[in-house]
Amino acid sequence: MIKKALATLALSAGALTALSPALADYPERNIEGIIQWGAGGATDNVARSLTPHVEDALDTTIVLTNRPGGTGVIGMNSVLTKPANGYTLLYGAENPQLYPVMGLADFTYADMTPINVIGQGLVVIAAPADKDWENLGDLLKDAQANPGTLRMGGTGAGGLPNTVLAMINSVDELDVRNVTFGGDGPGITAMLGGHIDFMPLSLAAAQEHIASGRLKGLAVLTKEPIKQLPEVAPITEALPEIESYLPWGPFWTVAVRKETPDDIVATLADAYEQGVANEQFQQFLTKNGAQSLNLRGEEAKQFLDRWQSVTAWALEKAGSAKVSPEEFGIAKP
Amino acid sequence: MADSFTYFLMSWTDLSLLLLTAIGTFAGIYIGAIPGLSVTMAVSILISFTFAWDVNDALALMVGVFCGGVYGGSRTAILLNIPGAPSAVATSFDGYPLAQQGEAGQAIGLSTVMSVIGGLIGVLILASTAPVLSEFALQFAPRDYFLIAVLGLLLVGSLAAESLSRGIFAASLGAVIGLVGMDPVTAEGRFTLGSMQLLGGIHYVVVMIGLFGVAEALFQLHQLNVKPVRQNVEKIIPSLNLVLKFLPLSIRTSIIGVIVGALPGTGGDIASLFAYDHAKRSVKNPSKPFGQGAYEGLVAPESANNAAVGGAFVPMLTLGMPGDAVTAVMLGALVIHGLNPGPMLMVTTPYIFWFMVGALVLANFFLLIFGLMGIKLFSKVVELPKAILVPLILVLCVVGSYSLNNSMNEVYWMLGFGIAGYFLKIFGFQMGPIILGVILGPLMDNSYRQAMSSVGDSMPAFLIELMTNPLSIVLTLAIILLLLSNLPLKRMIRSSKNPS
Repeated sequence: MIKKALATLALSAGALTALSPALADYPERNIEGIIQWGAGGATDNVARSLTPHVEDALDTTIVLTNRPGGTGVIGMNSVLTKPANGYTLLYGAENPQLYPVMGLADFTYADMTPINVIGQGLVVIAAPADKDWENLGDLLKDAQANPGTLRMGGTGAGGLPNTVLAMINSVDELDVRNVTFGGDGPGITAMLGGHIDFMPLSLAAAQEHIASGRLKGLAVLTKEPIKQLPEVAPITEALPEIESYLPWGPFWTVAVRKETPDDIVATLADAYEQGVANEQFQQFLTKNGAQSLNLRGEEAKQFLDRWQSVTAWALEKAGSAKVSPEEFGIAKP
Repeated sequence: MADSFTYFLMSWTDLSLLLLTAIGTFAGIYIGAIPGLSVTMAVSILISFTFAWDVNDALALMVGVFCGGVYGGSRTAILLNIPGAPSAVATSFDGYPLAQQGEAGQAIGLSTVMSVIGGLIGVLILASTAPVLSEFALQFAPRDYFLIAVLGLLLVGSLAAESLSRGIFAASLGAVIGLVGMDPVTAEGRFTLGSMQLLGGIHYVVVMIGLFGVAEALFQLHQLNVKPVRQNVEKIIPSLNLVLKFLPLSIRTSIIGVIVGALPGTGGDIASLFAYDHAKRSVKNPSKPFGQGAYEGLVAPESANNAAVGGAFVPMLTLGMPGDAVTAVMLGALVIHGLNPGPMLMVTTPYIFWFMVGALVLANFFLLIFGLMGIKLFSKVVELPKAILVPLILVLCVVGSYSLNNSMNEVYWMLGFGIAGYFLKIFGFQMGPIILGVILGPLMDNSYRQAMSSVGDSMPAFLIELMTNPLSIVLTLAIILLLLSNLPLKRMIRSSKNPS
């Protein structure tokens, strides 16, 4: 019985390979999804919440593996070295758009085809609740009165806090001690213990601590107040000129190698569009302080280009870019 | 209160939760025993696997895997001198010599009972003092983590059995290995020789598998014709007297385990090394000399690493901050299941706390049952002919290191460290200090730079903080005392006082 089944399987497999590849139904086997950040992080959570809904739409299994390291360089590189047949997907965050200006790698999302730009995280500048500041304006005043003494939590060059600092510095002046932590979590822990004075954070990481009253929001990185933190002022209130950078936030995307055939890209894009639109996943995004984007095709590419141009030039203006974005042909915003 | 008790018993009274905890614990023991198959990995796979499940079912399974996995690391450490996980490195120091003397069964039996005692003490402290303990953990500033790392590096004195200079060399080598990769502050490559693959650093488990697994396998080739020791499989379950004798040590090292586990920057691996050092300093007349099969050298790390599990849940359940890599992944699981882990967790969903505590206690009972089962069979592993054992070890090492990142790079590194470790072994270097360096090097680097940038890169300001903050003063004094106690100075004074 089993032998017979195996023989049929072998025969049909043989027949399939004999046919032209266009006739083969994609996907005919499991797909590998490589997450460029570690288990338990924001990108990992998004990938693991979204994928089951996409699996339903694609009628196959997507095997998720974390390949963290080097701000995601390792994971992205491993996808770029696999065949461009749609069987290896990258679950990535915003970082690749800054690899060249940070001198980390010479590839970006321009070397891939975006399947879906899933969503964008909201950003809040948070401080321990016992600080005297009511808003970002107070913090700026304090920092300008005592330059180079406030301790800001950062996550290293190219990280979210450093980018926000660069944006602020490109329109105003904020001279602080930048204390580097391994991520939002360790930074918040240090802030709760009073070891740092403020930190720009993803809303997902900060909102529960603000709700508990141990941290307070000084500003959200948007033009208008957000529904998750209605009482926190938008950053444009203290710094109107920063508006040109907004909306800005870390984002998550699924991408494949650029050389992947169009019909496969279309199949994937349909499935992911459906998956992101799933009500349960939408709830997950809102609950975790993120905005759903669900962009595909040209729209997705435009989003990626704009994000890169805004961020890279803000870093350059604040003197934090290692290589000028001009050298990589990144257009000015 | 009555509610808490109901939540506590949830996993005990519901048959499916009971079974899932049992299955998790059982699977965890075997996942933990294979070097490189880590609990972190198992739990992250479980997230996808349990996506559609009820959150309680998923948590029960994960808690079981966590408890079982931390314990399982000791199995291969005792039987083969290959710790299944970094937190079992210290277990191999005395566990393997015991196996070599035909006492593998007794060693596993004792380590099981002590793991369960440690685990239960960990849960007890979690249940009784979690909010206080997490506030205490928050007080640790970057400079205090730096001091802990320094204190940890001083353990070299305990771990380097024969030659201190070799130990210091090995620890420094480890620290350099630990620093390979992207500089966390500047995002520049450090010791990466321009290689993109090295930007991600060298996984410390790879180093561990190579140094302990492959190096040990190669070393055993020297003894191909030596007849394996016959294992004594009588009296595997330790007598009550024996357990009571070690109970004070177990309680002391469990407390070390809980505290180190509750600090968000440190975990069971560091806790078990501190515990081993504590045993070595505090036990004057061990059953056998340390390093040659002292029961005390087994009791201390095994109590501490399982107690660290309870500790790791302290910041996770009270603040939504991971206490270690596994609780980080479990936090992700809570998020995916629609809960909001954070300081409000105990307010909005108070049942989660008591449910977890209940499941942890339950998992520890299963640990006792499953841990003591099949020991006779396991001890026979040591009696296997080398021609079967050595290839088996090598296969496990390759599987373990490949599965870390699903990549061959880790396998190559592991083999490289294996061969290097073999020669280091021949020249009398200990492997423990290298692992110590790999674990503590990055902690020391990060925390020192955090501490320095907090004070505006001013050394005087840094030193003033060390002298004025109570926690830092205690840690600094501990370092000074440890250094003084290791100096021959003490002996000199003593000999000048009692001229005999």
